[in-house]
Amino acid sequence: MDKRSFLKAGVAAMALAGATMFLTGAGATTSGPQVGAPAPAFTAKDSNGKTVNLADFKGKTVVLEWTNNGCPFVRKHYGSGNMQKLQAEATSDGVVWLSIASSPPGYQGHVDGKQANEVVASSGAKPTAVVLDHDSTIAKAYQARVTPHMYVVDAKGTLVYMGGIDDKPTANPADIPGAKNYVRAALNDIKAGKPVSEATTRAYGCTVHYAS
Amino acid sequence: MRQTIFKASGFLALLFGAMLALAGAASANPVRTDHVTATLESEVTAVAPGERFFVALRQQIIPKWHTYWINPGDSGLPTEIDWKLPAGATAEPIVWPVPKRLPVGPLVNYGYETDVRLLVPITAPKDARPGDTLRLEANARWLVCEEICIPEEGVLTLDVPVGPATTIDDGNRAAFASARAALPKPSPFEAAAAAPSTPQADTPLLIEMPTNMAATVAEAYFFAERIDTVVHSAPQKYAAGEKGLTLSLPTGPLPLKSGEALSGILRLVEKPEAGGQTLYFAVTAKPDAALHAAAASGGAAAAQGGGAGSGVGILEAMGLALLGGLLLNLMPCVFPILSMKALSLVHAAAGARRTARAHGLLYVGGVLLSFLLVAGILLALRAAGDSIGWGFQLQSSWFVLLLAYLMFAIGLNLAGFFAFGGGRLAGMGDSLASRSGGTGAFFTGVLAVVVATPCTAPFMGVALGFALAQPALVALAIFLALGLGMALPFLLLSIFPGLLRALPRPGPWMERFRQFLAFPMFAAAAWLVWVLAQQSGPTGLALALAGMVLIGFAVWLARQVTGAQRSWGRIAYGALAGLALVAALATVPVIGSPVVAATAPSTNDGSAADGEWQAWSPDRFAALRAEGKPVFVNFTAAWCITCLVNERTALSSETVRNKFAASGVVRLKGDWTKRDPAITEALARFGRSGVPLYVLYPADKAKPPVVLPQILTEAGVVAELDRL
Repeated sequence: MDKRSFLKAGVAAMALAGATMFLTGAGATTSGPQVGAPAPAFTAKDSNGKTVNLADFKGKTVVLEWTNNGCPFVRKHYGSGNMQKLQAEATSDGVVWLSIASSPPGYQGHVDGKQANEVVASSGAKPTAVVLDHDSTIAKAYQARVTPHMYVVDAKGTLVYMGGIDDKPTANPADIPGAKNYVRAALNDIKAGKPVSEATTRAYGCTVHYAS
Repeated sequence: MRQTIFKASGFLALLFGAMLALAGAASANPVRTDHVTATLESEVTAVAPGERFFVALRQQIIPKWHTYWINPGDSGLPTEIDWKLPAGATAEPIVWPVPKRLPVGPLVNYGYETDVRLLVPITAPKDARPGDTLRLEANARWLVCEEICIPEEGVLTLDVPVGPATTIDDGNRAAFASARAALPKPSPFEAAAAAPSTPQADTPLLIEMPTNMAATVAEAYFFAERIDTVVHSAPQKYAAGEKGLTLSLPTGPLPLKSGEALSGILRLVEKPEAGGQTLYFAVTAKPDAALHAAAASGGAAAAQGGGAGSGVGILEAMGLALLGGLLLNLMPCVFPILSMKALSLVHAAAGARRTARAHGLLYVGGVLLSFLLVAGILLALRAAGDSIGWGFQLQSSWFVLLLAYLMFAIGLNLAGFFAFGGGRLAGMGDSLASRSGGTGAFFTGVLAVVVATPCTAPFMGVALGFALAQPALVALAIFLALGLGMALPFLLLSIFPGLLRALPRPGPWMERFRQFLAFPMFAAAAWLVWVLAQQSGPTGLALALAGMVLIGFAVWLARQVTGAQRSWGRIAYGALAGLALVAALATVPVIGSPVVAATAPSTNDGSAADGEWQAWSPDRFAALRAEGKPVFVNFTAAWCITCLVNERTALSSETVRNKFAASGVVRLKGDWTKRDPAITEALARFGRSGVPLYVLYPADKAKPPVVLPQILTEAGVVAELDRL
């Protein structure tokens, strides 16, 4: 009889006792946003000084797009017009599109309201609003890690998608035509009344810097 | 004037344009960007047709910036290479070196700083001919980041001549050796992982190794190869358990799926006395759903792994310890003691209630004081620099033997073969009301803790190990809570004597029950003898059994004392009983001696004295040196991870073994698994307090011995042997 089986046979009762004892110690460690759970609530000011409250959009699909206009991965999708096209499609379907600028002062992509509006104007972006998240509250609540990190919240306020903009994690605009756009696919699923087929994907891009 | 300026600027523009075009399209080697100097290097000056060789994409990165591992972590992208190769040539994927954890605020990236070589195996076309040149063209793209990220790229070319044989480039030998040293080593351990039971639950990863080896781990961290399988930024808890080291990996947004293997790099740091090395292993963990049960019961949640995790607060730890102490009462070795105490209380309840209360409190005092004493000794030893854990007692064979004898003696007592000093053990029976009853109650508490030791070691070891890693006061508090938990039932009985009425009435059943309780004690003694057989081999086993026979004989002799008619008879029986007991106890110091240790089975792959390795002893070593033989000494231990890796990778490689055989060097292995004092002394002579230690003694006694590095490479060992 080897050591292991001897131990098992001899002191199975103790193992059971140990199990009971330590079960209370086992716990969850992740507390981030979960697909299928209510999307974390937030209230913030947009680039025009207006208050944006996620709860106000109940009944509508909401897209959250983390952005940083200096980031090469964001530029990939704006320089090519890919992001603007998706924004226009979505908003014309009644989807609320919130671009969120989380860069704190001194970091790439930090914009005040005026600068944010200039970026929108010069790039021809079509978001419903640009939300300023200078203290990183929303980024932390959603654990947004990169730009562009994309989230979709359904009409009931449930988080139904989080991840990348598409399946080609590169900074090269030439990769866009052959890529599968996960956000477009998610919005189409929602429109068709189906569950989002790919609900969590790999997000890629530049690091989101959190305010300390 | 205006025209000149126009011309000049036109010329500059042309020049600039030409430069841009060059930078964009032209291939070069090295390629310099703003942040990275990229160089394509070859390990060979020539390659034979059809043979495989290595090239390296070297990235020299400006300070504070980094490029990425295959899993870049929370952001970033790994370096990619598109190869343009001659027909028939193939390139394999990048062989990734060990990454660094690079924190960016609360997020974590996995990547490389300063200087890194990404190795790529290339195979030359079979139909290449000597005299041909292979033109390797690498279109490399990398993302380089500090606070901001810049995608960069370069086309690098390298010409490798085809020759009749592959020849290593001596100029690049050191560079490729260091590139290989930066790769994770093949893991000597089997590994298993399970998909998390819920998206919120941890992903368990088991690295199979002996418990005593897992206990030498000071830090553990797993770099998962696939992005977002685990939360890159979260600390990882780990624990040493019966099956090995279990890591609890916080599950990321893209969890491991059921039936899926988990690949990555495991970083282990050994405790200083176990080598103190940082080791990296390439791990592929096979799927094993059964891990969940293990993770829930065992170690993972119990031990908050030395360094990384800090999930349990002191109050929570004390609460767990209290509960654990309570459960100790159910352990087979403790239960009889506890039952006896209960029986004595039943008796007391029939008599004076006040005595019952006093005895209960004295018992509690005995338990608490014993726990404090053990904790105090452990902490004092820790302060003295000795690294030991709970259950350390069980590592020394004399303690195990002594415990086995104690269990055996208690069993004999319970079975009714003899009684201690007129009354039965722990103030049973009539002696309860006597003055010695109070002392008896106190020592029952002490005894309960002593006999609990062997039962607690396998299960509480890790939790108490955690306690011992805390500051002294916290550790004492946790030990006290454990003791309090163990004494709790009697504390309650003492405070609420009314509860005693719930216990059954005293009667003849008590005697039967007491006798029955002898058997758990015999079982515990049997288990300890089995443990001893593992530690000390057949000789140790023989000693232990002989000791038990002697104890039984001593008990029988002692019983004859009261029955003897004449005084000289009583004296003779008493003296003989004493002699038998002394003889039994005399086995205790013998069992720790090297004579016995030498017969113990080696746990180190059974290779301590196989054909090529002889067992080290001071005498054997001195004899070989006297003969003028060159000697290689390998001081190792079964629980030493670095030793295991060295033995697997360097010492048992065919090249090294042939070299040893050819050079006539005698290989001695000193197994320190059981802390042999002769080895401790030998280590100290080289200023070491732990294994591994590798020493090569040249045949010429005038020459000093060579101490090899703690992490061996095949090439390093061969080089030292060549130097003889």
